[in-house]
Amino acid sequence: MSAGSGTGPRAPATGVGRAARPDARSRRQLALMLAPYLVGLVGLVLLPALVTLALAFTHYDLVRPPAWAGFDNVTALVEDPIFRIALTNTLVFAVVAVPLRMLLALGLALLLHRRAPGAGTARAAALLPTAVPEIAYGLLWLWLLNPLYGPVNQVLRVGGENGLTALGRTPPQWLTDPTDARAAIILMSLFTMGETFVVLLAARRALPRDVYEMAAVEDATGWDVFRRITLPLMAPVLALLAVRDAIASLHFTFVPAFVVTDGGPPPYATTYLSLFVYQTGFEYLRYGYAAAATLVMMVLTLAAVLVQWRLIRRYRRFYPR
Amino acid sequence: MSGAGLVLDGVSAAYRTETVLHEIDLAVARGELLVVLGPSGAGKSTVLRVVAGLEPVTAGRVRIAGRDVTDQRPGLRNVSMVFQSYALFPHLTVAENIAFGLEVRDTPRRVARERARAAAETVGCAGLLDRRPGQLSGGERQRVALARALVREPDVFLLDEPLSNLDLALRVEMRAELRALHDRLGATMVHVTHDQTEALVLADRIAVLRDGRIEQVGTPEEIWRTPATVFVARFVGSPAMNLLPAGGPLLPIGDPPALPVEAQIGFRPEAATLDAGHGAPATVDRVEVVGEDAYVYLTLEGGKPVVARVPTARRPDRGAAVRVGVRWADTHVFDAASGRRLAP
Repeated sequence: MSAGSGTGPRAPATGVGRAARPDARSRRQLALMLAPYLVGLVGLVLLPALVTLALAFTHYDLVRPPAWAGFDNVTALVEDPIFRIALTNTLVFAVVAVPLRMLLALGLALLLHRRAPGAGTARAAALLPTAVPEIAYGLLWLWLLNPLYGPVNQVLRVGGENGLTALGRTPPQWLTDPTDARAAIILMSLFTMGETFVVLLAARRALPRDVYEMAAVEDATGWDVFRRITLPLMAPVLALLAVRDAIASLHFTFVPAFVVTDGGPPPYATTYLSLFVYQTGFEYLRYGYAAAATLVMMVLTLAAVLVQWRLIRRYRRFYPR
Repeated sequence: MSGAGLVLDGVSAAYRTETVLHEIDLAVARGELLVVLGPSGAGKSTVLRVVAGLEPVTAGRVRIAGRDVTDQRPGLRNVSMVFQSYALFPHLTVAENIAFGLEVRDTPRRVARERARAAAETVGCAGLLDRRPGQLSGGERQRVALARALVREPDVFLLDEPLSNLDLALRVEMRAELRALHDRLGATMVHVTHDQTEALVLADRIAVLRDGRIEQVGTPEEIWRTPATVFVARFVGSPAMNLLPAGGPLLPIGDPPALPVEAQIGFRPEAATLDAGHGAPATVDRVEVVGEDAYVYLTLEGGKPVVARVPTARRPDRGAAVRVGVRWADTHVFDAASGRRLAP
């Protein structure tokens, strides 16, 4: 650029031309800058993924060399009742937890997007659980959900007698009852929607103010404003975040299930795919079998990415600018 | 024009701690088109926002069609607003945009759509009903915004610089259409602009606003012929009115009115003559030719600048020595200290 700046009024034109058709030198520069990322992508993601793909068709216990197994692992997976439970648990979790997380994040974003006293503190508080290290977060909930002295059940027992709630029911047995344990994992996941919350907060604040003033002049109710303006304008962001959250939900069940419930209570109430893969691979040393289960997770992720891709294309058509 | 369409009674408004409107008194008759004219930051838009209820007043009352609406929320005031940015909903079609105000007021969908179509036909955008705002040009968006304001029957239309985002040709066209529309509807309108030509062409009356205070309210002719202050005199008219000390060096021709010691005279560029045998000597700095007219920028002896408009055919050359003359009949006299009009 320093050579071009002295050549007078034609310099910007040549600069534009260079940016449009990069010459060999700047192409080399771009390649050089991209290299670290590419090396990481290939070495840390693509190669392991390919190895996993290959291992899925072998018997491998991390000690003896892998032995070719053909489709044995896949057929075994289909017939494995524990795998089926893990898959169902994973899908049920995604179907229940993702909408709840989105709803919570959207609600908080709409509540806290304005300048108001305490709004900044409240935003920080909404984000904070996401920043807590996962293991610490899991251990914290282990205490919170303790059926006897945990604060959650102590609150639920307020106003009741003999250890029952005010309605005369037994408080949830969070970590020992299968349904309650699944609910506990979902409850835990609700408070880590910080990233979704921040993106929605930014999306809401980016919406034009005059559109809302217009609605105020037309006497639209809060519900009308939400239904006819806010929701449709935020729909693209919401849809993409929901898919992203669905993909992430394959993974963020792992630590809670591992630390808090250890996949239990029986029968495998909180064994999700991620935990299933971990236990199969590293506890039972059936590495090839675990790789086959990982393959199923990859297929689920791929399906979600396809949905996301279609959404992006659809919304690009929707907003031609 | 009978009865009050809109009355502002000593209205003040503030953003945070800064007062932007100072006890504004303004009355708009029913069916009148009032243009609020002023430079950027004069508080023009704030006047509209206070009327619409988007901005609270810190003092005074707002009355629309005889109702005191000062403490009512925007939706209850029965006003329509056209925003400078048009504020169209990007996800709705033109028809849905226009019908929005009706549908949120629980008008049946079929009726709302019919009235939307009628409003679109009024402003000439009926062919766009199925498009989305992203597919429209600036002028088309402007029409849709107008149609959306027309679809109800509000007591007052508020237009916030609706023409400022259009190119010149379209602005001139829409200006005429807007005036015709007002004449057809007979609606009370308050139109905000910083464009003096727009104000002079459109308005029944003009309110000139400066730093949150009203300088003058009057018909376009009154604003042009008898500007109440130096500010109004110089803000309306392009190039701006010449302003010189009454004591010289330029002394108008004819019988002078009785003048106090500290006075200023003002005259428009078209009132100045250059071919008179008498008048104050001046040098030509530059000449701008705009078709048939030439604007001659002069410096009087003593350094005061003067602009004169002359026919292009009779323009002087740059650097030429000329004599500038003006008649008392074409001269405005202002108090030098207060800037207020003294005579005639």
